[in-house]
Amino acid sequence: MKLGLVIDLDTCVGCHACATACKEWNASSKVSNALSDYQPFGAEPSGVWFNRVRHYEVGEYPLSKTINFPMSCLHCEDADCVSVCPTGASYKREDGIVLVDQDKCMGCNLCAWACPYGARELDEATGTMKKCTLCVDRIYDTMLAPEDRQPACVLVCPTHARLFGDLDDPASEVSRVSEERGGFGLLAELGYRPVNRYLPPRQPKTVLSDDDARALLDRGLASLASPLIRR
Amino acid sequence: MKPAFSIVFFTVSSGAGLGLLALLALADLFAPDALADRVVWRAALLGLLLVAAGLASSVLHLANPRNAWRAFARFRSSWLSREAVFAAALFPIAAIYAALAAGAAGGVWRDFFALATCLVAWAVLFSTSMIYASLKPIRQWRTTWTPLNYLLLGHWSGVLLLAAMAAAYAGSAPFFLLGALLGLVALGVKLAYWYSIGERGAGAKRAPTLERAIGVDAGVHGPGTMTAARARLLDVGHSHGTFLTDEFGFVLARRHAKVLRGAAIVLGFLLPLAWLLAGAAHWQLGVAAACCGIMGLLAERWLFFAEARHTVRLYHGDPRT
Repeated sequence: MKLGLVIDLDTCVGCHACATACKEWNASSKVSNALSDYQPFGAEPSGVWFNRVRHYEVGEYPLSKTINFPMSCLHCEDADCVSVCPTGASYKREDGIVLVDQDKCMGCNLCAWACPYGARELDEATGTMKKCTLCVDRIYDTMLAPEDRQPACVLVCPTHARLFGDLDDPASEVSRVSEERGGFGLLAELGYRPVNRYLPPRQPKTVLSDDDARALLDRGLASLASPLIRR
Repeated sequence: MKPAFSIVFFTVSSGAGLGLLALLALADLFAPDALADRVVWRAALLGLLLVAAGLASSVLHLANPRNAWRAFARFRSSWLSREAVFAAALFPIAAIYAALAAGAAGGVWRDFFALATCLVAWAVLFSTSMIYASLKPIRQWRTTWTPLNYLLLGHWSGVLLLAAMAAAYAGSAPFFLLGALLGLVALGVKLAYWYSIGERGAGAKRAPTLERAIGVDAGVHGPGTMTAARARLLDVGHSHGTFLTDEFGFVLARRHAKVLRGAAIVLGFLLPLAWLLAGAAHWQLGVAAACCGIMGLLAERWLFFAEARHTVRLYHGDPRT
């Protein structure tokens, strides 16, 4: 089993609901043992989050696109954060979920150094490492209705940009969607074999104003002409 | 990477202690008459004290030191665990060796413990260096220069301490030219390391970019491709710093790097080399040279962290590592 997420970069609107819902669920979770906030109402609010959404611009205006990029643990198959851990606090379960045993962690930060994706954050209040649990305390909870046995970030997403499932099973919804849309893992060359997939943004259909078209034409002409002028 | 002083001090202090123990044991094994017993046991004690001080400092770095004893648990996969196991093994072995030397004992047991001290000290040094060299997300660390550099620096600071002790307690330092040669090689490897992580080094060409990190380096897929695939950060999503920006966001100004590199070369290598090449006379000068060398290596280790750029910085907007 390889439980994980498929995240659609084309439909994500960057509302941070996934990050907030994650914080809400896990702040009172027994598995992650609180997610501390530092100065939540002060001048410099900060704290531990499992999920962070960043925003990028790809291309150059007017041929550009904003990409909202949520990132949480990718539950890698070759997770270096697990192998570098000296205490055995970091471990990977049979179902693929990477977890930190809060009772064993000594807070050395080495696993955070070994993760290229910034998925792990040290909780200064407990002195232990925190990370996405894939809501392991939701997805197996038989007290919940079957449709609710999903990570909090997936349930809350207003644009359905997040899917949860078993990426080891080629017939699962996550595997099919990832296959159809060319889902990719981040920074494959590092060899971590991340399980989470990202669906690439689609080519935007650019709507050009007259001024934009004029500016583009000028820029194109200038780039053609400049080598001649320089010569 | 944030240069945490506890780790900088740990790597320099332990490195010097381990280098001192390894060289001392080697000299005692292969040239038993070169060092007097009163030098040997005192130097072994100093080496152990430096390693203990370093380890104590490294425990200060832990956010939850109550679980530090668990660090022995993953010897088979974790270099940090291996370092802990070898360091723990070093203390009884080197202590017995120091006791044998203090009692002016000779024979096969002293040789055995000298050899064991040397091998275990090497194992600790190598494990420490591999903690850094095994981290794939930090290209400035993931190179063969990292362990080579650290092993040589440990031995270089060790040879300075050993020469200073020999000058103080026996009046003269044997092998001081060999020591100087070691210093020159260590300096050469340090310069090679700096070249390799620099703009003209091999690593810079393979450095991942922001576009690669968010998967748009080959343009945007879909019906047709977006040709201009340059990306930039619009918003990082948090209003104040996070653990990630604290730990990995450290930025070193280029001119500060130049000054510190200069200080590391002059204090860490050139001044102590001058004392050794001048004949390693006057023990007071020797102590000064050893202290000066260690100051320089503190600057060198600080830079080792400050100049390393973690891959997660790409997601925070760095164009490349």
